[in-house]
Amino acid sequence: MCNSSQQSLILSTPKGEIDIRSFCTAAEIQSFSFDNQFGTYAQYKSLYTKRETLEKNAGVKGTNVVVALADRRHIVGFGVLAYPDPEERWAQLGPNRMIEVRAIEVCRNWRAFRVGNAIAKMLLAYPEIETKIVYVVGYVWTWDLDGTGKTAQEYRTIIIKLFEHHGFQEFQTNDPNICLKPENVFMGRIGAQVSDNIKTDFKWIRFGIPPENPI
Amino acid sequence: MRYPKEVVLKDCSEANIRQLEAADEEKLIQFYKDLPESDRWWMRYDVTDPAVIRKWIKRIDLGMVYSTVAVTEKRIVAHASLHMREFGCTQHVGRLRIMVLPDCRQIRLGTWMLLDLIHLAMEKGLDELRSDFVVGVEDGAIEAAYKLDFFKKALLTGYVQDKKGNRFDLMIMMKRLHRDLGDF
Repeated sequence: MCNSSQQSLILSTPKGEIDIRSFCTAAEIQSFSFDNQFGTYAQYKSLYTKRETLEKNAGVKGTNVVVALADRRHIVGFGVLAYPDPEERWAQLGPNRMIEVRAIEVCRNWRAFRVGNAIAKMLLAYPEIETKIVYVVGYVWTWDLDGTGKTAQEYRTIIIKLFEHHGFQEFQTNDPNICLKPENVFMGRIGAQVSDNIKTDFKWIRFGIPPENPI
Repeated sequence: MRYPKEVVLKDCSEANIRQLEAADEEKLIQFYKDLPESDRWWMRYDVTDPAVIRKWIKRIDLGMVYSTVAVTEKRIVAHASLHMREFGCTQHVGRLRIMVLPDCRQIRLGTWMLLDLIHLAMEKGLDELRSDFVVGVEDGAIEAAYKLDFFKKALLTGYVQDKKGNRFDLMIMMKRLHRDLGDF
């Protein structure tokens, strides 16, 4: 069963072709296998360690679950773009105004082949994306520093470069979770059709001030 | 680093943090003129001397001192700097200094300046940051530093004095810049 918005692209890597598919349905995901490298390590735990979590995300209206498939059926990478929960500050901008890159992860054996970049591209191939503000929060405690051999700062720089490539920029915010560590990063991509009023409201909510005229 | 950085302060006013530029000389001179004498006293240089400011401006491109300013309505309201050593046993440590005009204190501007310098120090690959504070004079700044994981490294009891000769403790605070999760 396919979603009408679904797209796919083939990425050539030194380890073979990867099929990147957007808007996967729960049923589709259920038919794929999930790499066992998405797991728990001494100092790192994958964002999702079970395929069922991806299936659950895919069942939520408006969510774009992207998977990277080796051999057309084995998940080696995934991404999730979803609207914030109503109680989150980013929902204060109004329904469907802000949408979050909630996850991008590639299993250890398939890193450094630009799979993450391809997943990001497919996440953003979203209807009416230019009318939305897409945001991403990078928490240092979710980063696989052991697996990549990077320092926290190097990893942070990689994240910034990855998303800058897709039109994101770093923004300041007083969100308590983000402020817990200076290594954390908050980035946003303001769509070309976002009005000046919404941009101003976005600025206020970044600092915990509710918009004057919430929608 | 991407500048300017737009911040909204605790009183809902706004400021832009950006790098100090050569064209800022007059504004920076005015900034230090506007700083109360009681604050200037604790500095290492006579910042009312335009030659001192000129020297700072000239060092902008030399690479070992990074200065940022916070600007509101074309006025500099805060000045921060990260000092690094090119050589020797303390080249892994950066030293911070932040000055904020009195009417812009207690609204988290200093905290944003501090956070920005921490990011800058991380980008420069420093291992540690040091900042010195006068206890009883800069307590707000000490509190902000604690919130950003600075810790008390040493207390030099009665090390500094005010104009009247009253002695104050100087607190040396440090912050480790994390390299991997083992540090957390």
